[in-house]
Amino acid sequence: MAQADDMHTASGRFGLVAMLLAPIILVNSFVFLLPILNLFRISFNEALPGGGIGPGGTLENWYKLAEDSYYLEIMLRSVGMSLLVTLLALLCSYPIALYVHRAKGAWRTFLFVLVVSPLLTSAVVRTYGWIAMLADQGLINNALGLLGFSPLRLLYNQTGIVIGLTEILMPYMILALLAGFGRLDPRCEEAALTLGATPVQTFWRIIVPLTAPGIALGCLLCFVLCVSSFITPRILGGGRVFLLATEIYDQAIVTLNWPGAATLSILVLVIFGAALVVYTRAVNRLN
Amino acid sequence: MATAQSAAAGDGAFLSLRGLRKVYTDFVAVENLHLDVPKGELIALLGPSGCGKTTTLRMIAGLASATAGHVMVGGRDITSAPPYDRDMGVVFQSYALFPHMTVAKNIAFGLQMRKVPRAEIDRRVAEAISLVRLNGMEERRPRELSGGQQQRVALARALVIRPSILLFDEPLSNLDAKLRDEMRTEIRDIQQRLGITAVFVTHDQSEALAMCDKVAVLNAGRLEQFGSPIELYEHPANPFVASFVGRVNRLPGTAAGTTVKVGAHDVILPKPMTGAVEVMVRPHRIALGGPSDTAPGANRVTGTISQVAYAGDLVQYGIDVGGTRWFVEQQTTAARPPEVPGTPVSLSWRVEDTLAFPAQG
Ligand SMILES: Nc1ncnc2c1ncn2[C@@H]1O[C@H](COP(=O)(O)OP(=O)(O)O)[C@@H](O)[C@H]1O
Ligand SMILES: [Mg+2]
Repeated sequence: MAQADDMHTASGRFGLVAMLLAPIILVNSFVFLLPILNLFRISFNEALPGGGIGPGGTLENWYKLAEDSYYLEIMLRSVGMSLLVTLLALLCSYPIALYVHRAKGAWRTFLFVLVVSPLLTSAVVRTYGWIAMLADQGLINNALGLLGFSPLRLLYNQTGIVIGLTEILMPYMILALLAGFGRLDPRCEEAALTLGATPVQTFWRIIVPLTAPGIALGCLLCFVLCVSSFITPRILGGGRVFLLATEIYDQAIVTLNWPGAATLSILVLVIFGAALVVYTRAVNRLN
Repeated sequence: MATAQSAAAGDGAFLSLRGLRKVYTDFVAVENLHLDVPKGELIALLGPSGCGKTTTLRMIAGLASATAGHVMVGGRDITSAPPYDRDMGVVFQSYALFPHMTVAKNIAFGLQMRKVPRAEIDRRVAEAISLVRLNGMEERRPRELSGGQQQRVALARALVIRPSILLFDEPLSNLDAKLRDEMRTEIRDIQQRLGITAVFVTHDQSEALAMCDKVAVLNAGRLEQFGSPIELYEHPANPFVASFVGRVNRLPGTAAGTTVKVGAHDVILPKPMTGAVEVMVRPHRIALGGPSDTAPGANRVTGTISQVAYAGDLVQYGIDVGGTRWFVEQQTTAARPPEVPGTPVSLSWRVEDTLAFPAQG
């Protein structure tokens, strides 16, 4: 009888959970899942000149993707640059996150607000800010000139995009790191010190492993945001650096090749899937 | 034998605290602390919560800097040495095990930092694991262990590096009573077997008295008394020590020579005093008798039982003596049931069991 009772409450609870989840599942199916399925379908449609979408059932878009080395090139460039930006954002954000994590009281709140505050400004505005910094007559090159160095080419190339994206993605990286720093225990660090570990050894043997969940989460988030970012590469690249996101935009909006854009979008989704697999494996190994 | 050993080592203290002081912004946590720990002894830092025990321990370990004063080990001043150069094993209150490492890796950590060869690490880790009786747990993570087992890992991790000094910060406070008693004897046993000099922080007076060679009683950052458990219990230096180390009845009185007037009764003191005094008698040193029983050569007052608390091994009586409440503890026996409230009784105790201090304030 007790068993029947348990089953009754269990199924009752399941019903309640299903009911509570129903709205979000419904909304997600319509605004997220359906459009993606639609993209997938369009990638098998023929592209007609002038923006038309022809009959389906063709692998032509996918052949083009595989044959034309241009697509392989932009894919490698996108992934490579995103990995670099992720690494740089991690290196720049980690000390900041560690410092904020250890701060106390009002000081910590203040630092936290400071970290989040860039997110209150649009990425477009911040990107234009970087133009003022990186341009030939910008802040950095003027300073270099005053010090007697020759100017550097920082804008309208990959360097500019990497610098800009790193800064723009840092708040996300810091937030993700902070979210994953829960296991960090100052007592463990002290225990390591008393056992003879120097601060450097303590950092690599204790602090880094204990913050690994935050590192993994931050890198996943940063990489995904970087691969899909469009505005910053567009502005800081000046239309001369070709990446997956800018190419999708060009095909969809400029050449009106929707099936081509859809195919590239699915490719981006596959890259995200791969990133998720790497992330899941890393987290599983940590546990 | 233990006393002979401590007397011999007394002049050559191994760990010395010289005028140690710690100030947090404007709060003095430890004030002018002098302490000498002979080699191979276990001493307790005993005091109420917040009296500066952990702060003192952290200054010894090098985890907190001393505002003033010195920490000396074997005659060497290590006040400014970083913790990783101090060769001290610390068992933290929260154990502070590394959650991402197995039991064996936790214990091996200190040896790896010391660049001990691999084969020797394996041998010493295995040795430490059997010393704390954790065989078979080598590959477990800390979260897969009970509190007592985690405690043993923390102990093994601190012991395996063969530190010159072992520091414990209330290591038993997170264990249940039965396990606590077990670990108490185990820690004492291991410490004596290995002859390690150790400092044991606790707020539990029975733990300090039962385990340690000497006890330093701290109060509000100051050392109140440093002595053997017997000295502390039988000859407390002041009312704080007397009441913190064991229970006492505290009774105001006026002394003239060896006689002190406590309420309507005359109490004999072991040594003469004058003026306002505070008389203290430990509840279990008082014998109960019939109201007309006499006790030649002993102190004696009469009263009425007003409260009885039966705890199995002991029974505690609250007794009304001329308007003041006295507490008396008696061992129980199946031969006689406890007294009942309202019974008139006499309370008697030896003159030597009477403590007296000049009244404060
Ligand atoms: N980092 C700190 N900053 C300010 N005050 C502290 C700090 N650490 C401890 N204290 C204060 O110092 C006093 C002694 O603390 P502690 O040594 O931890 O006491 P115990 O271990 O005896 O309970 C306490 O009143 C505590 O509030
Ligand atoms: Mg403490």
